[in-house]
Amino acid sequence: MFPVVVVHGGAGQVPKERSEGSSLGVRMAARAGYAILRGGGSSMDAVVEAVSQLENDPFFNAGRGSLLNIKGEVEMDAIVRTFTIREKKKRRKNHVCLTAEGANRFARSVGVPEVPPESLVTEYSRMCWAKNLAPGTNRGDSQMSQMGKMGTVGAVAVDRQGNVACATSTGGVANKMEGRVGDTACIGSGGYADNQVGAVSSTGYGEAIMKVNLARLILFHMEQGQSVEAASGLGLAYMESRVGGLGGVVTVDPQGHWAARFSSLQMAWAAAQKDTLHYGMQTGEDFTHSIDDPL
Amino acid sequence: MSAVMVVHGGAWAIPHDLAEASVDGVKVAACEGFSVLQRGGSALDAVEAAVRALEDNTVFDAGHGAVLNADGEVELDAIIMDGRTLASGAVSSVNNIANPVSLARAVMEKTAHVLLTSRGANLFAESIGMATVPGDTLVTENERKAWRKNKNFATEVMEDFNCQAHDTVGAVAVDSAGNVACATSTGGIRNKMVGRVGDSSIIGAGGYADNLIGAVSCTGHGESILKVTLARLILSHIEQGKSLADASQLSLQYMGDRVRGAGGAIAVSPSGQWAATFTTERMAWSAVDHDGLWYGLDPNERLKEQWYDHLLPL
Repeated sequence: MFPVVVVHGGAGQVPKERSEGSSLGVRMAARAGYAILRGGGSSMDAVVEAVSQLENDPFFNAGRGSLLNIKGEVEMDAIVRTFTIREKKKRRKNHVCLTAEGANRFARSVGVPEVPPESLVTEYSRMCWAKNLAPGTNRGDSQMSQMGKMGTVGAVAVDRQGNVACATSTGGVANKMEGRVGDTACIGSGGYADNQVGAVSSTGYGEAIMKVNLARLILFHMEQGQSVEAASGLGLAYMESRVGGLGGVVTVDPQGHWAARFSSLQMAWAAAQKDTLHYGMQTGEDFTHSIDDPL
Repeated sequence: MSAVMVVHGGAWAIPHDLAEASVDGVKVAACEGFSVLQRGGSALDAVEAAVRALEDNTVFDAGHGAVLNADGEVELDAIIMDGRTLASGAVSSVNNIANPVSLARAVMEKTAHVLLTSRGANLFAESIGMATVPGDTLVTENERKAWRKNKNFATEVMEDFNCQAHDTVGAVAVDSAGNVACATSTGGIRNKMVGRVGDSSIIGAGGYADNLIGAVSCTGHGESILKVTLARLILSHIEQGKSLADASQLSLQYMGDRVRGAGGAIAVSPSGQWAATFTTERMAWSAVDHDGLWYGLDPNERLKEQWYDHLLPL
C-alpha cells in the first residue's frame, strides 16, 4: 500500500489567465501534503496541510480569495473527517458542525487566530461580485451560470497506517444569499471518509452535490465493488442526469488507489504517490514528474 | 395506490409524565398529515402539515417547546425534501420562527439554494413576510427550569448524550401518485454550544427522500446520525433489497456499533410500505395507512385504532 494525497482546486471553468496559478497551487498543496505522509504523518494532517495551503492561496475560492456573498462579504464553509477506531480526544461538548457566530466564538475559545474579513477579499473576488451584480448577468442556477462561479478546494489521503481522511473548504458560490450553506460543510455531500471504504472530497454545483449526497454515493458504489474511478464516474453521471449538476471529486481507498474525476469543463487537481506528482486540468490530462522536481 | 403517513416525536427515554402527551401528539400529527393526503394533497404538503402540528405542540423539542442552547437561546434546524425531484430546503440555527419546516420549504421553493443558516435564514424569512415571534415565546417554563438545572450540573453529565432528550420531530409520506417526501425539525440538544448544527438540517443525515427508493426521517443522537449519514444509509440498504424494517434496524445497529449512538427512524416506500424503528428506550411514533391508525412508544409495541376518530375537532 502506497500512501497518497489527492488535491483539487475546484471544478468549473477556470479562466485562462488563472489556470497557471491554479495548476501550480494544487501541485504545491499536493507536495506539502505528501511531505507529511512521507514522513510517517497522518492522513488527517496531510489533508489539513494541503487544504490550508489552498485556503491561503488567493487563486482559489476558499479562505483568502473566497468569492463574496450577495452583500459583498465573505462567508466560508469547511469540513474535515477521519474515521478511525481511535477514541476522540475528550471534549466538553462533542459536536460535529458549528455555524455562524457560534463557530467564530469557538475559534476564539481555542485560540484560532482571527483576521480582518477584508484581508480575505482579493481584487478578483471583488471583480466577480461586481460583475454578478450587474443587471442582465445570468443569475440563475443553470449549469453554465454556475460554472464560472466556483472553486471549492479539497483533499483526500491515505497514510501508512491505512487511515483515510478528507477535507473540503470554500467561500461558496458567487453572490450567494447571505447564510447560504452549500455541500462543503455537509457531511456526505462535500466530503466523507471511512477507513472501511475510502474518502471523497467534492466540488462543483453545491446544491446538486447535496441533493445526491455525492461523496457518500460514490462510497456506496465502492462498497458494492466498484473501483475508485468507476464509482466516481457513476456518482458524477448520476448527479448530471438526475439533477442536472456538474462537478468533480477526488477519491481514495484504503489500499492507495485514487482518482480525480470531473464532469465540469475543468478541474485543477494534483496527486502525489510513490514520489511521483500527477496533475491535470482538462479532461483526460495526467501529467507526471518526480515529486522533487522544481515546480 | 394508497397513501401512507408516518410521524415520530423523538427517540429517547421518554419519561412517564411525558408519555401520554407524546403519543397523543404524534397521533394527532399523523391524522393531520393523512387528511391532507386523503384530500388529494401531495406527500410534500402532508409532511409539512404533520411537522407543523408537532412544532406547535410544546411537548416536543421543535418550534414551540424547543430546548435552549448554552446561551439560553433558541436555535432551530429543519429540513424538507421532495422525492420526485430531490429538491430540498433546510434551515439551521434560526430563532424567532415558530414553524421552521415551512421556512425550509420556502428555501426550497423560493431560492436557488438548499440550506440557509442563522442570520441569513432569518433575513430570508423577513423578506418573504414569514411571521416572526419573540424567541421567548417558543420556550416553555419547564424547559427554562431544566436548562438552569442542567447548567449547574458538572460537565461530565454532558458526555452521555444517549440519555438526553432527543425529541426531534419528523414525518414521511407517500401520496396517491406514488411521490414520497420527508421533513424533520428540531431545537437540538439542551445546552448545546451556540451555533451547533445537528443532523436535522443536513440532507442525507436527518432526512432524505427519493421516489426511486423511499423517504426517511431520523431522530436520536445528532452527531452520530451525521457521522453515518443515517437517512441515506437506510435507503442504500433498501436499494440493496432489504425491507424497510431490516434496513432501518441494520443501519441503527451500525450507528450503535460504529459510533456508539442510539436513535430512531421512520421510513416509507413508494409502494406504501412503512416502518418505525428505534434503538433508544422509546420512540413516540404514529402511522396512518389504509388499515387504520398505528402507534407505539415502547419497543415492539404496535397498537391500532380507527384513524377517523382523531379527525374530530379538538
